[in-house]
Amino acid sequence: MNIKGEVVVLVGLAGASLTLCLAFLWVPSVSTVAFSSPESQRIFYWHVPSAWAAMMANAMLFVGSTVWFFKRKDWAWRLHVASSEAALATGLMVIWSGCIWGTAEWGVPWDWTDVRLNTFAMLTLLALFIVLGRRSQPDGVETRDTFCTFGMYGFILVPFTYISTRLWQIRHPGPVMATSKGSIDWDMRIVLYCGALSFLAIISGYIISGMRLAQLEMRLEKIQTKYDEVTK
Amino acid sequence: MGIIEISEITVFRGRNKVLENFSLSVNGGEVVCLAGENGCGKSTVIEAASGLISLENGSTKIRGQLIRDSDGRRGRTTFGLCLQDDCVMGDELVGERIMDSAMKNFDVSPLLRDWNLQHREHDRVAMLSGGQRRKVAAISGIVPALTSNEPLAILLDEPDSGLDNKSTELLSKNLRNLAAGGHAILVASHDSEIIKNANRVIRFPFDVEEQNPPEGKFMSIETGSTRKPLIGHRLNLRTLCGLSNNGIAGLLTLGAMIALFDVSGLSGKTQIGFIMAPALAAGLCGNPINRLLMENRSHAWWITKSPILPNSIFHSLILYLAITLMAAIVSDNVVVAVIICGGILGVFTEMTMSIITQSTLNLSRPNAVMIRLLTPILILPWAVVVDNLTT
Repeated sequence: MNIKGEVVVLVGLAGASLTLCLAFLWVPSVSTVAFSSPESQRIFYWHVPSAWAAMMANAMLFVGSTVWFFKRKDWAWRLHVASSEAALATGLMVIWSGCIWGTAEWGVPWDWTDVRLNTFAMLTLLALFIVLGRRSQPDGVETRDTFCTFGMYGFILVPFTYISTRLWQIRHPGPVMATSKGSIDWDMRIVLYCGALSFLAIISGYIISGMRLAQLEMRLEKIQTKYDEVTK
Repeated sequence: MGIIEISEITVFRGRNKVLENFSLSVNGGEVVCLAGENGCGKSTVIEAASGLISLENGSTKIRGQLIRDSDGRRGRTTFGLCLQDDCVMGDELVGERIMDSAMKNFDVSPLLRDWNLQHREHDRVAMLSGGQRRKVAAISGIVPALTSNEPLAILLDEPDSGLDNKSTELLSKNLRNLAAGGHAILVASHDSEIIKNANRVIRFPFDVEEQNPPEGKFMSIETGSTRKPLIGHRLNLRTLCGLSNNGIAGLLTLGAMIALFDVSGLSGKTQIGFIMAPALAAGLCGNPINRLLMENRSHAWWITKSPILPNSIFHSLILYLAITLMAAIVSDNVVVAVIICGGILGVFTEMTMSIITQSTLNLSRPNAVMIRLLTPILILPWAVVVDNLTT
């Protein structure tokens, strides 16, 4: 049985658990002057890696959508299916952890005027729309083309989300890695990298197994259609 | 080169390849009939020729103008179209629809008399029987050619379904007359009368039969000025759908906020937010004409006429300005710039909703898609406008 994807997901989950342990037990606390709620800052070690993973999943969604739309490759459609689900899962993780952190740090879970928060939420809603919408339609070229169009245009939000805190920093903090103002402490960086690798493994494994699942679904549908024809 | 030119098209419907490298050329003065069992691909040929469905390969042209190709390029030209669905909105008037179809103003009474619809000229299509509605759809399909001295293409998909024998005979006669005028007609039909009157019959899968039908006599209808494409605004005035959908949403939002907040105590960002919120809520309901266009697949017919579907955007602007003005009066802060921003924001929101909705119309179940999931993106521009107006 081909379970490469599932194994990679399990490795990723183990890494994410390790990140969580290190974040709570090992990483030094942040300054009590700069943060209103320094302890809640530890969510950062899940929040940021899951956001990077979500961006990767959205990039994969863009690749799958574009290749299907222009080249009609079946693998690209499967990539679209699997990466939209991965983008949704990681996106929800980011929003959920962000809301908890925001409540502790800012006193409110959400700010409708913050560009970063809104564009990221939009990306996640787009993934939700693609996942639910696709399930509501019979598979076919029209369905694939329509959702791939959303996958392609939706990708505009990725660079927009990335630069949003650089151009319009309202409430969401700006970049913390390798900026002109310096970078974060090495202990923190190690845990952050551990988290990033773990989440990368989770989405990679998910996409691999998701693509295989989509292939199996397509095979099943073909067999069902053939059966219908034979028994007609 | 024919007036209707279909070149090596490959079309999928769902996951089935319905047409593969199918080519067809229909010349001026020719009636070509597509015949065959249900599901053999007749409608697919008509819809592909009119540019309604995406092509995996090949291209379609009408009078030399590219209509659609496999690279996604699209173009438009004048041609007549009658699809299997009637594609007529229930609130259109019979006479109005026929003139809109011809895109010219003219006296429709003689034409309607021929089809025994003269007493229905000013009636809404919704008031007609199924057969009468089909007649309106069929006339809409042929009228661009009837009012044109230049050879046009006419695409008809089972125009005879639901018509009585007399009307089918009249339709066949009309097709012969149009052919005599140099128009090119591609018709899908099971009806023996229409098949008999065709120059060429293509029986799927692709047996071609040449025939010698009787000659017709073409007399074009005299027309007046070019008709302005303001169907959306006319429908909005007739049905008040903008007021009953978007207007009510805006008024309810305003009412709920008045009930919840002490309006006199609002200031700064909260006050501007209060004034702008009803326009946002109203705009989120989308283009009110979209709901009407979903009836009988009317949107498909209109999209062949123009890339912008019928809308009532000027009425909407007035509505959003009025709602914002009401909110401003209630909050005792009437500032012209804020009211104009409310109007523009409402129109922007409505247009965005309209674009999002239209992008899913190609799906087999467009109503099943949860398009409203994408609407939160519209809160950001609203919040930014409120923020800027406050500062």
